[in-house]
Order: sequence, then C-alpha cells, then structure tokens
Amino acid sequence: MKFFALIAVIVTGLLLIYGTMDMPDWGATDSPPNTHVSPRYIEKSIEETATPNVVTSLLADYRGYDTLGETTVIFTAGIVCILLLRRYR
Amino acid sequence: MDFIISKFNYWIYIVLMMIGFYAMISKSNLVKKLVGMNIFQTAIILFFISIGSKKGATIPIIQDSHVDAVNSALYMNPLPHVLMLTAIVVMVSTFGVAVALLIMIYRKYKTLEEDEILQILRNEKWPNTH
Repeated sequence: MKFFALIAVIVTGLLLIYGTMDMPDWGATDSPPNTHVSPRYIEKSIEETATPNVVTSLLADYRGYDTLGETTVIFTAGIVCILLLRRYR
Repeated sequence: MDFIISKFNYWIYIVLMMIGFYAMISKSNLVKKLVGMNIFQTAIILFFISIGSKKGATIPIIQDSHVDAVNSALYMNPLPHVLMLTAIVVMVSTFGVAVALLIMIYRKYKTLEEDEILQILRNEKWPNTH
C-alpha cells in the first residue's frame, strides 16, 4: 500500500515539476503577479491610506472584507473547539 | 545553471509539498496525517511568497514617506504576503479543529491508529442497518 502511495507522490511531483517550466523566473519584475495590481497598491498606499507598511494597508484597507472573512473563520474554529471539547455533565 | 537558479524555488516547494502529501496518504496514524497536512500548507505559503519576490527589491514598507512618487520597483509585491497572512490564520484554525476532533476520537476509541479504529468499527454491532 505504501508502494502505491510512493508511486502516486512521485508521479504528482514530476507533473508539478513539468508544470514549473512555464512559470515565471524567480525574482522576475515583469511576471504576471508583479505587474497588474500590486504596483498600484505600492504607489498609492501612502497617498490613500497614510500607512508606510503596505501589507498593513492592504490587509486592513484595500482588502478589509477578506480580513473580515478571516476573523469569521477563526471565530468559527474557536466556537467549534469549545463545542467539541466541552465536557457534558 | 541560470535555468536551475530561476526555477529552484518551485522545486523546493514541490519537494516539501510531496513530503506532506506522502505523509497524508500513506501514514496510518492520524496525528502524522495532520502533520503532513501542515507541511503541505507550509509549502503552498512558500510558493506564494516566492512568487511575490522581485530582484533588487526590499520588503514593502515605504521608507521615505514624504516622497510624492513611490517607485514600485523598489518594493516587493505585497499582495502574496497579505494572502498568506490569511492562509496562515486558516491553517491555524484547521489545525485547532483537527486536534479537537482527534482528542474526541481518542476519548471514544482509545487509539489514534486508523486501522485499529476501523477494526473497532467493524466489530461493533449495528442494530439499525440489518
């Protein structure tokens, strides 16, 4: 059974390594994730949010709904842990 | 050589991800499966962070905040950092819920080995099914 698991893992790994041939190079400044929207965030962050840390301004201002969903996730996880581990008596 | 350097980060994360994948599908201890899932998620985080790097750039904290035009080539891509901050939170949440479920499984079956749990389940009487 472990043999089949090893075969599946090696096949998946080789497919993924074959897929990296089309990925952008490491540190490329013209790769798709570095060109479209992130220069806009970096250039306008000081002007629009007055926060030097761009990660913070992205987290709390530009993508606030994402952070709201994140806190919902961790709240739900906490409630589930309390409900699971509570001892009924 | 240039090719190896430009793709090396992807190969590292693929190796790390496959270690986690192998632990998830071949181990029979549930805690080891959970650790494998965490290694898998860490590999995804490494992949996203390495995507956001630029050559000759520093961390995305604007140093001179009185300059009007900020040169975006001097700072790394902040978007993957934010997304992975969210992913770390989700990872911690899933880990906590999974550990709570494992504690409940251990309280009921007194073991965390998958085959022993299946053996106990097969030996149980099921009055409703037949």
